[in-house]
This record gives sequence, structure tokens and C-alpha cells, in this order.
Amino acid sequence: MKKKSVSSSAEKIVDRFHLPRDICAGAICISLTGDREAWIENYRGILEYTDTSILLQSKTCRVCLEGEGLAIDYYTNEDMKISGLIRCVKYL
Amino acid sequence: MLRFFYLLRGYVMIRLTGFAPERFMNLCSNKGILLWDVNKCGQEYTMCIGLKEFRQIKSIVRKTGTRVAVLKRCGLPFFVPKMLARKCFLFGMILAIGFWIVSSFFVWDIRAEGNLCVTKDQLFAFLEENEIYRGMRKSSLDIESLEKQIRRQYPIVTWTSAKLEGTRLVIQIKENDMPDYERVQDGEAGNLSADFDGTIVSMIVREGVPKVKIGDSVERGTVLVEGKIPVMNEDATVREYLSVKADADIVAEHTRSFHDELKKSYLQKDYTGRIRKEAYIRFGSRQLKLPADSPFAVYDSVVRETRPEVFELLKIPLYFGEITHREYQNTQHYHTMEEAKGILSDNLTLFLETLVEKGVQIIEKDVKIEHDGTKWILDCNLCVRERIGILTEIPEENVGEAEEAPQ
Repeated sequence: MKKKSVSSSAEKIVDRFHLPRDICAGAICISLTGDREAWIENYRGILEYTDTSILLQSKTCRVCLEGEGLAIDYYTNEDMKISGLIRCVKYL
Repeated sequence: MLRFFYLLRGYVMIRLTGFAPERFMNLCSNKGILLWDVNKCGQEYTMCIGLKEFRQIKSIVRKTGTRVAVLKRCGLPFFVPKMLARKCFLFGMILAIGFWIVSSFFVWDIRAEGNLCVTKDQLFAFLEENEIYRGMRKSSLDIESLEKQIRRQYPIVTWTSAKLEGTRLVIQIKENDMPDYERVQDGEAGNLSADFDGTIVSMIVREGVPKVKIGDSVERGTVLVEGKIPVMNEDATVREYLSVKADADIVAEHTRSFHDELKKSYLQKDYTGRIRKEAYIRFGSRQLKLPADSPFAVYDSVVRETRPEVFELLKIPLYFGEITHREYQNTQHYHTMEEAKGILSDNLTLFLETLVEKGVQIIEKDVKIEHDGTKWILDCNLCVRERIGILTEIPEENVGEAEEAPQ
């Protein structure tokens, strides 16, 4: 099977000039505070939400947060805050 | 802070069910609608949304095939109509706020601090005389004038400060705690004369000419130390007299007597044990209680008054009190010999203690207690040593008069 190219030409430019990836390449930005809170920016939307997992769609990939008692403290077009016990963050 | 604004604008908690709740949330965020406290309970989702935004989600609900039910309404737009419906409550609240505002125009409490010699009763009586009382209007209070009046009325007060702390008038006083020395003007001269009869036992003269010596018996009025010092010429004649204030420590021995009487019979209150209690409420100087007849023929009353801490803090002069009327009978009793001796001895001891406090030395005492049928009599003769001498004026004809020396 042919291996998919990881970096596009835009990402190469970003790497070359050391530009912030979240601004220029639209990479998802996740800030975790311990294992209880997560601030997420640069996402496109929620694909699935249960109290044990939240699947998010970003420009470049999908991110799945797994845990227990997950709740969305607030949800806007810009950012969202997730609280609960976060067990793992997966990039799909 | 954001939630506070939403409380002002109003928000609702909704329950979301249906096929694609995630899509509902995504479409909301795309439209710039804020959702918060999003939770999943079983197959349902609950979340909060602003009232204005809630009116915009109809199309999203239709598009996503979800169902929305309102669980809770919060915020001012929902609270105000509820309040308007409760007219009595609203009226009471407005009345309370009005009362609170009107009350803040008056002085409800007066507190004195730092007063030791000037008692609170004296000070408050003086304030009432000057029309400063609890319940007066703040605007009619002239603080500067009050401070001046207090200083003028009580010379012992060296500094005073009055200030209004909310509805409380706080008067701070600083009294002169230095000993009050006898003020003598410069040039004021005088003799030191005996103020009682006695025999001189010790004498230390600092200023003036001594006219008596140790062992002399003096009578009341005798000049002990003369405040007229002769200045001599070379030929032993008196050129002039210098007038000074005579000063000396002179101790004289003399007798003092103490007489006390105690009636053999006396009236004593014998309480019957019957009491009647009466409650009252006092607001400022006004007392409110249920009308009642005189409880007993002969009785005395004990008043116990309390002010709850909350009224103390809010400076409201509201007091709750209880008057206990206790019935008694006046019964005639007789002092026994031991009782009478005990009472009279106590009185004598008190008198001796006051003498000792004054610096009087007791050399000898002769106490006699007698009974003359109706009363007990105590007679005590004391031999004491105490300071003698008071400042008296120098007779005018002698001041500055020079005597001619014999030729």
C-alpha cells in the first residue's frame, strides 16, 4: 500500500519559516489542565458526544477525548471547554 | 461574568432529544449561539442557551430533526413579571428600602469612648441638655460645636472628637490623666498654720522661718512656718522682709474621735416568694408594654434588658426587657450583740482605712461599744500622727515692714 504523504506544501512552508501551526495551518489546539479540564480551539464541529467520549473534527484530523462524566462547559464557534475525568486524547 | 450578563438578559435550560444532537450543536456554534453546561443524561442532552438565542433556533431544530423542551427559565426577564405578580411582597420590599433610606437620615446610637472621670450618664445627660439624643436628625447635628461644648463643660477633657459612623455618633474623649497640682501664682506668699490642735513630732522646713519646734504643743491657727524672711543690714537691723510661700513637712500627734450608732431594730424585706413577670419592648426612650395593675401591695422590681446583637450591629435602639416584681413584707428585726459589733467594727475599719490612705499613722486606739436600750453606740478615740499645716495669708501690716534695730 502506498504510504500517504504526511506533510503538504503549506505545512512545509510553515515548518520552514517557524510559523505558528494553529494560526497558519489551522491545526487543532488543545490545552489540558491536569486530567479534569480541556480547552479546545480550531475545530470544525462535534461528530459524536457521549459522557465517555467526545469526537471532534478539525481541519487536519479528528480528535477523540475519552474519559468519564465528560461535559461541555461551553461551546462556541471559536472554542470550547470540556470538563470531567479525561483518560486519553486520541488523534484519528 | 458572562453568566451574570446572561442572568440579566435571561436564559433557559433546554432538553434536546432526537436524531442528530451533535449537528444541532454545530449549527448553533456556526450561527454564533453560545451553549453552555452541555451534559448528556442517557439519550437526552441538556444545555443552557440565552433567551434571545433561543428564539433563533427554530430553523436549526427543524433542520436537524431534534426536539427541544424547556426545563428551566432563569434570569431577570422571568423574575420581574413574577415579582410584579406578588404585589404585597413588592410593596413590602419597597417599603423596607424606603424605611432603610429614611432611617439613615437619623442618629440611632451614641457611643462614648475614652471617658473615665466623666461618666456615660453625665455625658449623655449633658448631650440631652444640648438636644443631642437618639433619633435626632443627622442634619441638625453640629459636630464642631458639640466638641467645643464638651471641652467647655468638662475642663478635665483635654481632647475630644465626635464623628458619625453611619447612623452612630461616636464621641471620643481624652481626659487629663496628669495629677492635678495646686496651682500657685508666682509671688503668692503665705504662712503655714496649724489646722488642728496637736504636738509637733517631726519637722522639715524647706521655705520660710520656723516658728515652732519638735515637742511644742500647737493650737489650731498657730503659725508653724512664717512666709516672711527678714533681710538684715550689716548693723543687724532688718532692712526688709522677703515674702515667700512657706513650705514644710510637719507631722503632729493628736487625738481623733470616731462615733457611730446603730439602731437596735431595723426593717428587713422578707420576700414571700410570689413574683410576677412583665415583658416590654423599648424603642429609644419609648417603652411599650401591656397595661397591668399594680401586681402586689408591697413589692420591688428587677429590670433586665437586652439588646440583640443584630440590632446592636444595625444601630437600631430596640431593646427587649423583662420586669420581675417581687412581693415582700417589711419585718422588724433586732440586731444581736455579735451582729451589731460586726457592723460597727466594719464601719470603724472602713474609717481607719480611709485615714491610712490619707497617710495618717495610727499610734493608739481605744474602742468602746455600748448599748443604751434603743441603739448600739461605738466610740473610738484614736491617737494619730498626721501632716499638719495649711497655707494662710500673711497679715498685711507685717508684709515688707522693716523693724528698727535697737541702738
